[in-house]
Amino acid sequence: MSAVDAGLAAEYAAIFAYSAAAVRLDGDPRTLAEALESEHRSRRDTLLDHYAATGTDAPAPAPGYDVGVIADAAAAQELLTGVELNVTATWRAGVAATDPVERRLCLDMYAASAVSLARWRLAIGQAVADPWPGRPE
Amino acid sequence: MFTTRRGLLIGAAVLAAAGCTEQAQIITSDADLTAALRTARSLARGAEALGYNEIAEDHRTHAATLERLLRPSTIEDEEAEAPADAEALAAAEAAGSAEAAESSMTTLSDYAVLFGEIAASRAAHAAVIA
Repeated sequence: MSAVDAGLAAEYAAIFAYSAAAVRLDGDPRTLAEALESEHRSRRDTLLDHYAATGTDAPAPAPGYDVGVIADAAAAQELLTGVELNVTATWRAGVAATDPVERRLCLDMYAASAVSLARWRLAIGQAVADPWPGRPE
Repeated sequence: MFTTRRGLLIGAAVLAAAGCTEQAQIITSDADLTAALRTARSLARGAEALGYNEIAEDHRTHAATLERLLRPSTIEDEEAEAPADAEALAAAEAAGSAEAAESSMTTLSDYAVLFGEIAASRAAHAAVIA
């Protein structure tokens, strides 16, 4: 699995999670969750364009993803925070790619995902400062 | 000959072992690390002056890491005008992100991911300040 394959898989999972969780949210977090779901869909489309341009087959999304029980807004917030952390960590790892086209794509996606993570944390009242977005602890 | 910092250090050790100690001296610091350090210091001052203390702390963390990687070289501070307001700081963060992203793409060192992390952190700062 290439770095871009891994990133696309993370974006697929994020879209699924937002689709399942956003209905449990209200107010600003709901508005932002819907905006971020749209951003993940846009990133997925950009990645699919990359596969088409390079003449390679894109991995397909899984039929479903285990998002657990989303009983309330707190559970939805926790799930989506984990999703944004996972997407950011996945794209961060891709920056180590040696192919320059792949590295550029991962770099752009990494910056975009770090922005999404910070905006989401801000919306749910968490600290947004993070010197190393997505770095494993 | 030495395409990475690690390769340079290993090469220096080999040359030193062969008695070629004068040629083994590292006399230049990494230009990308130096630029990232100067920008980190400048952004830290700017963020702190405008009350973004947590963001300033991120930049100080970047600066401390970059200083450690540049040792034994020491990089002097450069005087730079502080951003006048949040909008100017967000623009400086975005410019700093682009600088680090470019370094991530072009560096010959092992620090592509480090520059990418700094670029991503600065991009996030720009977004939440704006």
